[in-house]
Amino acid sequence: MGDARWSNLNETAMMTRVGAKPLDSEPMTQSNEPISAETRIKEFEEQALPYTRLLFGAALTKTKNYADAEDLVQETFAKAFRAWNQFQKGTNLRAWLMKILENTYINMYNKKLKERGSGSLDDLEEFQIGAAESLTARPQRSAEVEALNQMASKDVREALQNLSEEFRMVVYYAVVEGLSYAEIADVMDTPVGTVMSRLHRGKKALFDALKDFAASEGYDTTPTKEKKASARAAKAGNE
Amino acid sequence: MAEEINCEETKRQVHEYLHNELSEQEIVDITAHVANCESCESDYNFEHAFNNVIKQSCDEAPPAELAQRIIDRIRLIDSGRADH
Repeated sequence: MGDARWSNLNETAMMTRVGAKPLDSEPMTQSNEPISAETRIKEFEEQALPYTRLLFGAALTKTKNYADAEDLVQETFAKAFRAWNQFQKGTNLRAWLMKILENTYINMYNKKLKERGSGSLDDLEEFQIGAAESLTARPQRSAEVEALNQMASKDVREALQNLSEEFRMVVYYAVVEGLSYAEIADVMDTPVGTVMSRLHRGKKALFDALKDFAASEGYDTTPTKEKKASARAAKAGNE
Repeated sequence: MAEEINCEETKRQVHEYLHNELSEQEIVDITAHVANCESCESDYNFEHAFNNVIKQSCDEAPPAELAQRIIDRIRLIDSGRADH
């Protein structure tokens, strides 16, 4: 069953396997002769500006408000434009812009680098424990898919915004922007293992939050057996 | 030749599969397993659907004036009148 669907998915996976090269912050000497100001602007507008929507999405995910997100995007493009001759053609422009956005955010909001990457919360060991846990049987998965599809985007968005920044941004970069683990590691200045851990755990935390929300809104994602058990527990608690 | 992989390995690799972090051989092996395993298939379907739901929730258009403001800013920088 499902052969066609899976081969489609697989094809998409193959097609997106590009630009996994690590980003290079070294200024690159370009072989091309000096270009006119007008060409430079045109080139930047054609190549970088189409990422406005994606950058705005990332900025909004980071800052959680429109005014700050707009400022952040504007600053990011301003910086990117000044550094445009350092961008190595043929490498991933999206990831390059994201890295600038990430750094701009740190500068603008005076975020300390030491807060990141040292996360005692997300070592690999805990991630491995988490992985083992997620392997327990989940017979209700199709009900969960159904419940997910009924969720309003704004509720999903809100749940995502409630994740801590490290988890939120990894989920955003991986799922929404489609950056590779290596690119995310570079953008966020963390080891790849941490990226994996945050993605797995971030998605799990997001789903748990959505499940709680769904339960409070009257969606049903709980399998009957569990429901009976928790009803019994609630009853026992009341007595 | 395709190696048999079990459910545990398959389920563990779901994010790496969907985010294209596996070797081609691993993709082939997992695709084969998932196509024949209902439990893993529903897990993969779930994560795939979840990714789509997250993507949709983040698809927010920037304000219309933002693009113009960026262009103005860049031209200003280029003309050397603003250097920060």
